[in-house]
Amino acid sequence: MITASQKPINEIAELVEPYKKVLILGCGTCVKTCFAGGEDEVAVLASVLRLKFKKMARSIEIEELTIERQCENEFIQEASSGVDRNDAILSLACGAGVQAMAKRFAKKVVLPGVNTSFIGIQESPGIFTEECSGCGNCGLATFGGICPVTRCSKKLLNGPCGGSQKGLCEIDPDTPCAWHLIIERLTTLGQLDNLKTYIPPKNWNTSLSGGPRKLIREDHII
Amino acid sequence: MKIHNKPKLTLFHCLNSFKETASMFDGCEVKTVKMACSSMTKDVHLLRAFESGADAVLVLVCREKACRYAEGSIRAEKRVNYVKTILDDIGMDGKRLNIFNTSSKDSGSINDIIKKTLLELEIIGPNPALNHFN
Repeated sequence: MITASQKPINEIAELVEPYKKVLILGCGTCVKTCFAGGEDEVAVLASVLRLKFKKMARSIEIEELTIERQCENEFIQEASSGVDRNDAILSLACGAGVQAMAKRFAKKVVLPGVNTSFIGIQESPGIFTEECSGCGNCGLATFGGICPVTRCSKKLLNGPCGGSQKGLCEIDPDTPCAWHLIIERLTTLGQLDNLKTYIPPKNWNTSLSGGPRKLIREDHII
Repeated sequence: MKIHNKPKLTLFHCLNSFKETASMFDGCEVKTVKMACSSMTKDVHLLRAFESGADAVLVLVCREKACRYAEGSIRAEKRVNYVKTILDDIGMDGKRLNIFNTSSKDSGSINDIIKKTLLELEIIGPNPALNHFN
């Protein structure tokens, strides 16, 4: 999932302050799972903003809506009437969702309510970890399903740096050493010989370093 | 500036942590919200209590390790603490919201909690979000 965290409430309040009617639009997929922008977070944020503006003797009308995904037009359509009724949209989706809304509603102000963080998983309830950098050339088969590009602080591709202690990274002792995990996992899988394969310097052209990327599926284009 | 004569309290409680007695709420108006377990305490419910006019919100939960559902009171405490930080952030004063470990058999301590809350309200004043629109 794409993880995000809600912006500080006072930053959000400043963003919406110029508008009289605001639609807080949640996204029911990734940001819901990481407790940043689902239905519950929309309700809490709406309540907090109403309290804050009442305290400031400012009247503001806040409408609440959560759609399944803000990154797909099919779902975005469900928000159309709500968008029409309001002066601005405070989107609690990731940056992709915010931009998809802005693209779909060209004459409407769309404001971001969350800071998008990374592609990750829920490690345990309430703890989310980064697992994928979207480098565009996946090598997980070689590394036993553990990504050194993302999870090794030094992005080493040909074995550990030697600085880890008791399986923890020397850069951040709260982070497991990715190479410690890779070696443990390859040992379990009987694939330790994978480490004899030399991995050449990574070509970052397929990553964001090569500029904004586009994925084209010709078979789905009419 | 006083906006109403008697302070308004909203009291969320789990079934096992609170039992109302006759004189418990002298000097204040109280709305009680009964929950099967304090784990049902949700951020938005606490906030909406303030939107609905509460000057203070109390959450009464079972004593530590006495929760029948094991983690209910722990979850409630985390949510209360989260909402307290939000209230501080928006200038509402997190002291308006508090959580206490109580037992329905101990009405004396609950009386003390309410008295203490009313005294605190004399210091921090009424709900500041209601001065302008209610």
